[in-house]
Amino acid sequence: MEIKNINPFLPAEWQKKAEASTEPAAAGHFGNLLKKALNHVNELQLKAEAAAIDLALGEVEDVHQAMIAMEQAKLAMELTVQVRNKIVDAYQEIMRMQI
Amino acid sequence: MKMFQTMRTSASGLAAERLRLDLIASNIANISTTRTESGELYRRKTAVFAAELAKSGAGQGVRVAAIEEQQTDPRWEYDPTHPDANADGYVAYPNINLLQEMTDLITATRAYEANVTVLNAGKSMFLKALEIGRG
Repeated sequence: MEIKNINPFLPAEWQKKAEASTEPAAAGHFGNLLKKALNHVNELQLKAEAAAIDLALGEVEDVHQAMIAMEQAKLAMELTVQVRNKIVDAYQEIMRMQI
Repeated sequence: MKMFQTMRTSASGLAAERLRLDLIASNIANISTTRTESGELYRRKTAVFAAELAKSGAGQGVRVAAIEEQQTDPRWEYDPTHPDANADGYVAYPNINLLQEMTDLITATRAYEANVTVLNAGKSMFLKALEIGRG
């Protein structure tokens, strides 16, 4: 998924300038950052799932390790949900714009 | 992930306290043990903790540096019928003080609880931060 910034309604030469200035930021593109963060959250979720399976099988030595893994996954998930809410809010704000 | 540094630090504390509990359990279980696998008397075990440098520099976890065996004189009891009695009829028992073990047990339990409290505090701070800008 690639999120592109909204093109400002500007005269042609200004627009060129604006595009040139956003170009170097492509490496740290918001979409890429989001993707990276989501991958990390997914990793934590998988870790929590593995911990839960170990716990069910009785293979876990420290109960707190399993609990902490699950808690970390939960917190990372909540952070993701909050970020998603902010993005959706921004999107809806723009959609409500009068044209 | 730097986000969960507090949790990792507390987790190392929890693991350390649990190990301490294991050693106390071992000491109490072996309070009258006269022989071990090495053929010697059971010795009271204590854990030596060392601070561990975290990668980020902030906050240090704890690790178990060593498990020490107490080298004090055994507790001698007269019992000539015991198979491990010496020529004079005395049996060497480990010098474990039950009162001391129980006090250590309370310390370990409370320290474990304290670590859980810190962990929960970190968690509520994280959740509080997520409330920024809400409402």
